[in-house]
Order: sequence, then structure tokens, then C-alpha cells
Amino acid sequence: MSDTVPDLPQHARERLEGLRDTSRRGGIFTSDFSVNEFLMVGEAGFEPLGLVVGSCIYHTGIQYAGWSKNQEMAVLSQAMYEARELAMTRMEQEAQSLSADGVVGVRLEVKRMDWDKDILEFLAIGTAIAHSKGHPGFKGPAGKPFTSDLSGQDLWMLLQSGYRPLALVMGSCVYHVAHQGMLQSLGNVGRNVEMPLFTQAMYDARELAMERMQQEAKEAGAEGVVAVQLHEGSHNWQPHVIEFFAIGTAVKAIEDAAVIPERLIPQIVIPVND
Amino acid sequence: MALFGSFGNHDDAGSLARQAAWNEALTRGTVPAFVKERLAETMSGKRPWVTTASPAGLLAQRSHGIRPLGLVSGNCWFQFGYSWTRGHYEGWHTALDRLRLEAGLMGANAVVDVTLRVRRMPGTENEGHMDYGVMGTAVRLDALRESANPALATVSALEFARLLESGIIPVGLAIGAHYDWFVANMYQAGAAASYWNQEMAPLSSFLTRVRRQALQELRDDGVRLGSGVLAHTQHTELYRVEPDEANPYPRFLARYIALGTAILHDSRTRRPFGVRPVTSVRDPRLLAAPDTTKEVL
Repeated sequence: MSDTVPDLPQHARERLEGLRDTSRRGGIFTSDFSVNEFLMVGEAGFEPLGLVVGSCIYHTGIQYAGWSKNQEMAVLSQAMYEARELAMTRMEQEAQSLSADGVVGVRLEVKRMDWDKDILEFLAIGTAIAHSKGHPGFKGPAGKPFTSDLSGQDLWMLLQSGYRPLALVMGSCVYHVAHQGMLQSLGNVGRNVEMPLFTQAMYDARELAMERMQQEAKEAGAEGVVAVQLHEGSHNWQPHVIEFFAIGTAVKAIEDAAVIPERLIPQIVIPVND
Repeated sequence: MALFGSFGNHDDAGSLARQAAWNEALTRGTVPAFVKERLAETMSGKRPWVTTASPAGLLAQRSHGIRPLGLVSGNCWFQFGYSWTRGHYEGWHTALDRLRLEAGLMGANAVVDVTLRVRRMPGTENEGHMDYGVMGTAVRLDALRESANPALATVSALEFARLLESGIIPVGLAIGAHYDWFVANMYQAGAAASYWNQEMAPLSSFLTRVRRQALQELRDDGVRLGSGVLAHTQHTELYRVEPDEANPYPRFLARYIALGTAILHDSRTRRPFGVRPVTSVRDPRLLAAPDTTKEVL
């Protein structure tokens, strides 16, 4: 199994081999599942293999934007994307060396360093799982483990609805919002008016992030993307620079009729204690 | 990843062209051609559908005929120079109209899971302008008529289905917002410094007045849209502004906003459902009300 991922260090390989091999005394799994989650992953026909992580400390390049211009900060967009991608790929490598079918509960975090505002840490962490009966039909694109930020319960629910996860897909856009000209600002004092430059900047940045996420899903061969979240953030950048970040799990209809669960008709339940 | 190519195409000319396209489109009350193309291709299945719903929402696709189409959004950065109330009213409504436009272009008859949030530019918090942004998942519901004017709801697709099953139709979002100033006189200003317990009656009635006015507006908005409002988000702020040269006494500013889903319903035709006790093993997700309101105000 180590042939597939030659560049993992020896100690990481030993740890992962220990996790996968349940026949050995030391063969235990690790996960950050809750009790419900652990039970539902089992119910879905999978077993946990181990926590897998990937990390990337990234120095973002410098880019200047025109003071009065709405424009994408392509250098930063690319940095935010590439660094997340590197962290994800490293996590996937760990999962691959476990011969996992996929990784669920993936959290993708960005941390900034107090000592240098241009350095960010990107962390991807999740639980690698494998189909208990070794069904080959759950792998992600190109035969690699699938990745998803869905919980164990959501994985079960997704399979119930006839879909399987393919990949965690994302789109990022770092954008510089134009400053309003002084004359224009003065002209609007005390008036109730829309500020079109600002409106358009939000529109454009959001559109680019969503379009990229959708494009990534399309390239993964997905039919749809579930549980999409759109985050906005400013990672220590100058005031008029913002990031729009779209993330979700790309899914595809289950092909193998034998593993499609019987149609589940949800019964609508109204909890009376909330 | 193959995607890297898509970052390269934003040279000066490219970003200027995009800026011009947005400017022209929003002025004419539409969206640029590249957005229309994405919406149309998503509708036709050439691009993957997108939903904010969890996988449980996908089940409703088969059981309740709710098909997700894609994310739709709208926003309006508004300067509310002289009126915070007007800003909240016009800002939200403009943003919602724009969201409805995208939903229409996608062939949706409803937008569920609509979230609202304001955004202020760091460093300009006191300049009296902010962005009113809305976002939701455009869906097609078999149970709902074709309509050029998609229904909007802050509830999820599953809750939308739950409402429809009970004979209730969500139709849109209702908003009520009001603010006012209160100038204390010498006697009232002195009350805060007294040694005994007493109600600050003028402030109580002032705040009540602001709330009542906002709720009246929420009701009026609801009347315009349907018959009832399920107000999910309410928020009050009361500030004290210290005396200065122009104002010898402290002033108070109160703001109140309520947002909710407007529904069409007739209690005579309400379909009853059996109540069956079950024990839920779902990990409870805490709904942090203060955080929710912070995002929209």
C-alpha cells in the first residue's frame, strides 16, 4: 500500500499501517466522531480507519490594487486556493495510504500567524473511512478517496437519498473593493442612495467564488453540490480587501443498483420542545 | 488543479470589462450575460445543481418533489444618510428583488433557506452605509404553481414542505424596522442618578413606541404579501449619546427590526396531522439567537 504514496515519511506510514490492520493488536482506529456519528457511519456500511490530516503554511505574495477600482486580487485568490488545495491533497495522501474509500467530516481551517500577516496556516482534518465489505463503487474522482465535510449522519442520509459523495469542492475569490471618490462621497452626504461600486464589488466577488466551486464540481464529474456554505472573510488584509469562499460536497447518483437503499419516505416530525 | 487557469484571466482590461458589465446590468435591473449563462446552464443540468440544504433536504427531492437548482443571491450597498429605517427597508427590498430576479432566470418557483446579513466596510462603520445581502437556494416545487414571481422563505426546503403539507403557502419575506431619538429633559436625566428604585418610565414608553411602530410596519408588509408572518429574527438596540455643546442633555437612540416569512393560510382549511411522540437522537444543534441577529444588523 505504501507504493501508491511514496513521499510519506516512515513514521506516518507506520502510524497509518497500524490503524488499518485490525488483525494486529495495535490495529485501532482513531476518529473525532460523536457517538451518533460513529453509529451512523456503521449503519451506512462504512468503518472508520483513522484521523487524517494535511497542513500547509503559506506565504502570500504581494499585490496592489487601484485605489478606485473594483478588481480581483488574483495573486491572493490563487494563494488562498492553492494553499487549501495543498492541505487537502496531503490529507488525501494519508487517506490513500490507508486504502480508504473516503474522508468524512473534513474541516478546512485557516489560521493566521501573529508574527507575520503574510503567513497563513491551512489545515485539513477528517476521518478516513472504508466500506466494510470492500465495495469498490464509492471511490472519488480518479479512484482516489472521496472527500466531504458531511458528518457521519449526513453521509448515511446522502446514501439514503440515492447519492454518493465525490469531493469537497471550493471556490475562492479575494477582491479589492474600490474606494469612493471624495467628490462622490460629499455629494451623497445625508442622502439615501445606493452605492453602486460597493454593490457591484460584492456581486462580482460572490459570483466568481460560486462559479469556481461549480466548475470544480463539474470537473469532478458531479451532478450536484450539497450543503454549500459561502463564507466571507478578511485574513488580516487591508480594509477594502475581502475573500468570498464557497465550499460544499460534490455528489453523484449511486450507479450500482445493488447498493441503492430502499426508498426512504421521510416522516415529518415536529419536535415540541424547541 | 485545472482550475488555476481561471485565475489568470483578470488583467486590467478584463476586470474593467467585468466592472462595466456589472454596472450596466444592475442599472438596467438585470445581471450580466456571464451570470445569465451560468444560471441557464445550471437550470438545464449542463452545470451541477447547487444547494445549501443538508442531505436530508435531498430526500425531499423524491418524497416531496422539491428539486434544487442553484444558489441565488442579491445585495445592495446602501447609504442611509438620514434614515436608518429607510435604509433597512430599501436596502433589504432591493436585495430581495435582485435575488428574485436570479431565481426567475433559473426557472425557480421558490427560493428557500434565504439568509440575510449586513456587511460594513472596516474603518467606515460610522459613515452611515452598509451592504444588505441576501442569499438562498432556488428550487422547483411540483406542488407549487408556475409563477413569474418566485416565493421566498427563510425556512429550509423541508420546512417549506412541512408548511405545504399543512395547507400553508410561504410567499415572501416581511420586514419591519423603525428607529427614533429620545431627548431626555433635566428631570429625566436626573432619574438615573437617584438613590431609590424607580422605573425610567419615559424611556420604557419610548422603546415601546419604537417597537410598536416597527411591528406595525412588519404587519403592513405582511398584509401586502399574504396574511400572516412568522417572524424569526428580532433585534433591539438602545444607545445613550452623551451631552455635547448642541445638546445639553443625554439623548437615546432606539432601533428595532423584525424579519419573517409571510405565509398564506386559512385556519378553516388547515389540515390536521397526528402527533406521535418520538425520541430524537440527533445531536442538538444550538441555535445561538444572539449570533443570528448579529449577522443581519
